[in-house]
Amino acid sequence: MSTSSSTRETARDRSTASLRRRRTPKWVRMALLYAGLWAAFIWCVFPFYWMIATSLRAKDEIFARPPSIVPHAITLQNYVDLLIGAQFWRFALNSLFLTLSVTVISVLLSVTAGYAMARHRFKGSVMLPLFMLYGQMFPPVLLLIPFYIQLKFLGWLDSLYGLIPVYLSYMLPLCVWLMRGFFAQVPHSLEDAARLDGCTRWQAFWRVILPMARPGIVAVATWVMIHTWNEFLYASTFILSERNRTLPLGLSGLIGQYTTDWGMLMAGGVVTAAPILLIFFFLQKHLVAGVGGGAVKG
Amino acid sequence: MTTRTRETTRLKPHWSSIFENGTGARLYPYLMVMPAILIAIGVVVYPVVSGITSAFYDVTLRTLNSGDMPFVGMRNFERVFADPNFMRASLNTVIWVVLNVVAQLGLGLALALLLHRIVPGIGFFRSGILVPWVVPSVVAVLTWRWMYDPSVGIVNEMLVRLGVINDYHPWLGDTATALYAVTVESIWKGTPFVMLLLLAALQLVPKSILEAASMDGASGWRMLWHVILPQIRVSFAIAAVLTFILTVNNFNAIWLMTEGGPLNSSEILFTLAYKYGFQRFDLGRASAVATMLFVGLVIATTIYLKLIQAKEAD
Repeated sequence: MSTSSSTRETARDRSTASLRRRRTPKWVRMALLYAGLWAAFIWCVFPFYWMIATSLRAKDEIFARPPSIVPHAITLQNYVDLLIGAQFWRFALNSLFLTLSVTVISVLLSVTAGYAMARHRFKGSVMLPLFMLYGQMFPPVLLLIPFYIQLKFLGWLDSLYGLIPVYLSYMLPLCVWLMRGFFAQVPHSLEDAARLDGCTRWQAFWRVILPMARPGIVAVATWVMIHTWNEFLYASTFILSERNRTLPLGLSGLIGQYTTDWGMLMAGGVVTAAPILLIFFFLQKHLVAGVGGGAVKG
Repeated sequence: MTTRTRETTRLKPHWSSIFENGTGARLYPYLMVMPAILIAIGVVVYPVVSGITSAFYDVTLRTLNSGDMPFVGMRNFERVFADPNFMRASLNTVIWVVLNVVAQLGLGLALALLLHRIVPGIGFFRSGILVPWVVPSVVAVLTWRWMYDPSVGIVNEMLVRLGVINDYHPWLGDTATALYAVTVESIWKGTPFVMLLLLAALQLVPKSILEAASMDGASGWRMLWHVILPQIRVSFAIAAVLTFILTVNNFNAIWLMTEGGPLNSSEILFTLAYKYGFQRFDLGRASAVATMLFVGLVIATTIYLKLIQAKEAD
């Protein structure tokens, strides 16, 4: 086979390909696109739907075989059972307390650090942000053991306060890294103008830059909230007694050794996921922009 | 009006004016980063160093309580290598990571290409496809555990109806399928994040390049391989390294579905270290496994940072 014939062949291939492509009507391509979109949509949303559907079924229907895709009768009994138990509110309050403390502390600490790293040149202004990113990647299992030894030594095992520094190790580096990114986007000219108007450096930061960077700060705070609210590994290792459990821990505790009340568990799942979903779809734009800006947690 | 306010601000001395010049000005950036750095040293640097150190000591509940932990050199590592579960867990970790990374990148790219085009209703599809990423991981894992239920699970029912299997199968209770069943959940959960990263990259590809390629008659696969992928290669590599790190550190999926069982068939290094540490309280041996994981992740992170810098240089 000579080279010229093979080139001719590919050229013909290409022309037939483009002809075929031109002949494929637009509506067929659109139909294929939408078929793909629907398939992906159903694959992604179905488990979520199944959780909600299970939470709305009566006990005997949950354990009926074969399971039906659409519930026969809708009941709120599972939610009533869940919310009537005092445990649930305890877990929710614990989660809320932890989430708020960790968020406030890490935002306060990272806001100044992120700003200084974005704006000022000083010893370590190049290395520190990279170090922050590294800190984010450390395997939690390596941190788990020293934390356990330290908390045991300090007598903070099984305490929500003991979890705060643990969670800071998990959130603070990412916060500083993200804040630095947001502050780097605020134009220098604003700061210069404030300084010309007689503001001190601190006042320029506090009164001019901080309000400008508010969307970024909200995004970072939301990231911390979501991750703290969802955290399971550290809580399950360091929290021993039932009354100090957080919501994810309480949920996993509903798994029984022999039988599990799946209706109530799924209702708990819906209630745990609801605030996160609300926050997310409310702030979707900011958060997705944050991913592009160098977020590193999935 | 404006001049007067300006004058008053200038006249009024503010406590922060000590940072304007001299020593104050030089200290200012350090004071700004100080609190975060101190906390980070306390909660990140110190634990990492002490975690690696304890891999070389005999740390158990008994030695912890007595406060006398003998130095044992490499013995923790030797004991880890002598454990047949460790080989099993290493092999499983490789399977787990390869399956997750390949599937999440492949599906993530496919989803990004699907969602890239602006067609009516695309916002609806984009929001829906982000659902797995947004649902809290514990909730997602427990939901999948319920869907895999051996007697009334919807996964079994669907597969029976599709004719894939004849009878209900205990996906999480069978040593042959447990790891793969968990992998499916993990792929479901992780793909949307990869999709987001790749979608962001796709949207930066200049339209003119795509148009020029399609004028040349490049179509379908050829376009993807020769035109689109080279354009997003850095983002693609970043997504790959991130997926790798997140998969190695994914504890919730395996722990809440199988706890590494049955018979260690879904054990990965993370869960093995966890069991050494918090079921047998052999913290020294757990640290040895964690240190090995740490070295692997540091290498991956270094690659990741190099890639980020390459991206910023682009």
